[in-house]
Amino acid sequence: MARAARLLPLPLLFSIAALTWIKVARPAADTERTVLWLGLIPLALFAGGVLESWFRRQPRHRGAILLDRAHGLHDRVTNALTFAELPARERTPLMDAAIDDALATVTDVAPRRAAPLRIPRELAFSAALLVALAGILLLEVRTTRVLPPERHFDPLEMSADDLELFRDLAAELERQAQDPEAAAAVRRFNQLIEDIAARRLDRTEVFQRMAELDRELARGEQADKEALEAGLARIAEELEKAGLSRAVSAALKQRNLADAEKAMRELAEALKNKKQAPSKAELEQLRAAIQKASQASQAALKRIESQRQKLEEERKSLLEKQQPDGGMNEQTRRLLKKKERELERLDREKDRAKRAERQLSKLDRELAQAAQDLMKEAGLSGEDLERAAEDINRMAREEMSDQEKEDLRKRLQELRELLRQQGKDGKERLERLRRFSQRARGQQGGGQQGEEQGGGQQRRGQGGERPGEGQGEAGGSQPGRGANGREIVLGRGSKSIPMPGMGGGESAGSSGGAGEKSGGSGASEGGKEPGTGHDDKLAGDKSELKGRTQDVTAAAADTGEGTASSQVIYGAAERGFVGRGYQKVYTDYQTVAEKVMDEEKIPPGYRFYVQRYFQLIRPRE
Amino acid sequence: MSNSERAREDVERFRERVGKLREEIARVIVGNREIVDGTLTCMLSGSHALLEGVPGLGKTMLVRTLADCVGLKFSRIQFTPDLMPADIIGTTVIEDGERGKTALEFRKGPVFANIVLADEVNRATPKTQSALLEAMQEHRVTVGRTTYTIEEPYFVLATQNPLEMEGTYPLPEAQLDRFFFKLHVPFPSREELHAIVDRTTTDTEPKVEHVITRDEILEMQKLVRTVPVARHVQDFAIRVLQATHPDGEDAPEQVRRFVRTGASPRGAQAMLLAARVRALFDGRFAASIDDVKASALPALRHRLLLNFEGEAEGVRADDIIQGILSVLPEAKT
Repeated sequence: MARAARLLPLPLLFSIAALTWIKVARPAADTERTVLWLGLIPLALFAGGVLESWFRRQPRHRGAILLDRAHGLHDRVTNALTFAELPARERTPLMDAAIDDALATVTDVAPRRAAPLRIPRELAFSAALLVALAGILLLEVRTTRVLPPERHFDPLEMSADDLELFRDLAAELERQAQDPEAAAAVRRFNQLIEDIAARRLDRTEVFQRMAELDRELARGEQADKEALEAGLARIAEELEKAGLSRAVSAALKQRNLADAEKAMRELAEALKNKKQAPSKAELEQLRAAIQKASQASQAALKRIESQRQKLEEERKSLLEKQQPDGGMNEQTRRLLKKKERELERLDREKDRAKRAERQLSKLDRELAQAAQDLMKEAGLSGEDLERAAEDINRMAREEMSDQEKEDLRKRLQELRELLRQQGKDGKERLERLRRFSQRARGQQGGGQQGEEQGGGQQRRGQGGERPGEGQGEAGGSQPGRGANGREIVLGRGSKSIPMPGMGGGESAGSSGGAGEKSGGSGASEGGKEPGTGHDDKLAGDKSELKGRTQDVTAAAADTGEGTASSQVIYGAAERGFVGRGYQKVYTDYQTVAEKVMDEEKIPPGYRFYVQRYFQLIRPRE
Repeated sequence: MSNSERAREDVERFRERVGKLREEIARVIVGNREIVDGTLTCMLSGSHALLEGVPGLGKTMLVRTLADCVGLKFSRIQFTPDLMPADIIGTTVIEDGERGKTALEFRKGPVFANIVLADEVNRATPKTQSALLEAMQEHRVTVGRTTYTIEEPYFVLATQNPLEMEGTYPLPEAQLDRFFFKLHVPFPSREELHAIVDRTTTDTEPKVEHVITRDEILEMQKLVRTVPVARHVQDFAIRVLQATHPDGEDAPEQVRRFVRTGASPRGAQAMLLAARVRALFDGRFAASIDDVKASALPALRHRLLLNFEGEAEGVRADDIIQGILSVLPEAKT
């Protein structure tokens, strides 16, 4: 009992702690239930322990031993009880004497003294804890719950220039879209761009919409395409065996469905033309080829199925070799694994062949009909082949649809990458893009904005429209330095590109101010680069020629070739990315860039930067 | 007269004889009641005792006095490194017989006595120690093809000095186990020293008388064996013994940590036999748990083997046994 009283405060304290926490913290229902159980478990364990010790079998003669201890009887009582339990004949004289001795000595024993019932002092503490527990149970704690703040809607922003770019791209895709499915996807893409422009979506929503669209476009596309190509290759292989259908076979082999359709129509015409009808042998050859071609998909499927069955049988026989205890030797296990892998591969092939069969079923039927009709009349067969050509035309259209989807996916990828990159430094980047697009359109303020960024360390020179309109150089406390030309900076952190001979003169502008420019030929004071002007007296006095001169005007021939690319680029840097000349140069350069990227010479991680660069410098209207 | 009354008389007689012995010994030996009782317990149990203590504490005197009191044949062997087994067992010598014939005759050594004092037993070589310990165990000596029985009662008291370890041969554990008790002879108190000096520095030398005969001792030894031991007392002794083993059920932490090997079953035998003697000393007719507790220290201390950690920590076997006795419940299901 004393032990129980000593231990009781522990589970009580634990329960009080748990209950207090529930009352104060007001956790969710699930958590509350868990904590409540956690608080009750120690109490339950304690109660179980008390019950167990209560009902536990006590050692024999425990009471007698306690009596002996309490009265210093040297086990007289216990010994006497033990010996008295023995039959009289088994007792020795000393045992009898011990019993007599116990009876004589032990006259006044008090069980109360041997096992006193004392109320443990710890019980008072436990009682106090119990009262506290009851009090806490009844206690109602008022709490103020702070509701989580409403989610702040932060719409995703894109620069107007980029929006325009993607609108243009979407419009282009819409124009090209012939397949209704692809057209619908383009419309959804367009809607997405418009939603972004209207600031109706936040970043997460935009990415979700893009992911949905991407999933829709990617659905089964690659697998179907591969299956169709494999099926067409099989048909081409069979058609190659006949001279008349070799052109169709060649086009199919090259995956050129338009040419295949054309070749098929020509073949149909040839068959219909009774005047120049093919020979019987050629027709027979063609019939056999068409017949086999119509069964190519089925035959492939059958071949795969028979291989599969054979493998399955081999696998079963290997499994039968299994020992009774379920084990098998290492070689058999390896072989079994190999067979299973082969079966998996065949399953994939079968799946692909089935898909091809589904897509080519109509063509197969037409070809089969054509082969059948060839036996009766070539003209009839020609009509069948025309229908087959129609079917090839359908497949070509579907292929185009795939191409359209692929284009749209590319645009989506570009948009995703752009938004991902844009997320890095948000508004500052947008502002920079805004200014850039203004310049790109040639809408700059004619050198009116002198900007200084990065604590005056980085200066930006902006090109003006007219030569001589220099940007404000940061003067500050330093004496003005002659700027021997313009500086063009494209993109953040790029090095400035000096443009010698374009502008110059002294600049004594204050920080952020627009410098007034002197003429284009003034020698700059303090400049490191040579100026473009000269001393008036450098050439000495003018010559006094005695001979007479005659001015002749020679007009240069207009070849129409225009200025050199470098001049066009310089011009674009000055005036913005406008004009037909720039458009041509841009197209040339972009074509090269696209080609390089297609050849995978640019690492995938850098392609975005190249694409983005060309997006930014694209010609503007 | 009933059996019970006869038993009561036997026990009373036993007490009287022990009382006389104690009184007589006390005339020579000052104090050391526990050592005297321990020695008597060993003798009445028919076993042997190992006395350990520094020189000059009266170990030899105790044994000599005891021998004088009981009137038994006493011999003392001073163990030295050059002592040979034949020196203690005896040897065969050529004797001139009648009519001028010579014959081989076995001359018994000092072990052929009723009370043998093996002084500084750890100074002899193991071979000689073994010879003595074999005689102790078997109560007989075999020389050549002849076995000689040692007369009962046979009681060996060996002493050893715990300080001078150099040049000694500590008794192996197996041989220590043959000693019923190991008794530590303590240094006398101031009062006892006064009494010792008074008795030993005057012209009157204390003399003891034979107060008990050989037959009486044998009768007392027989009575000891008849004292009943209740199951709970025996169970307690066994649980004490089990608790001395590191893997024992009730072994306390100290045992698990410091003990290499616990006591052998001889330990339980010694505890219960000694408990019987103690009960008779008190005039009781059955042994009690208190008797077992009182016997546990001398019966077990030389039977515990400490491990390296125990030796390094300077743990004493006595502390471990006391620890066991303090935590072990007296009754268990």
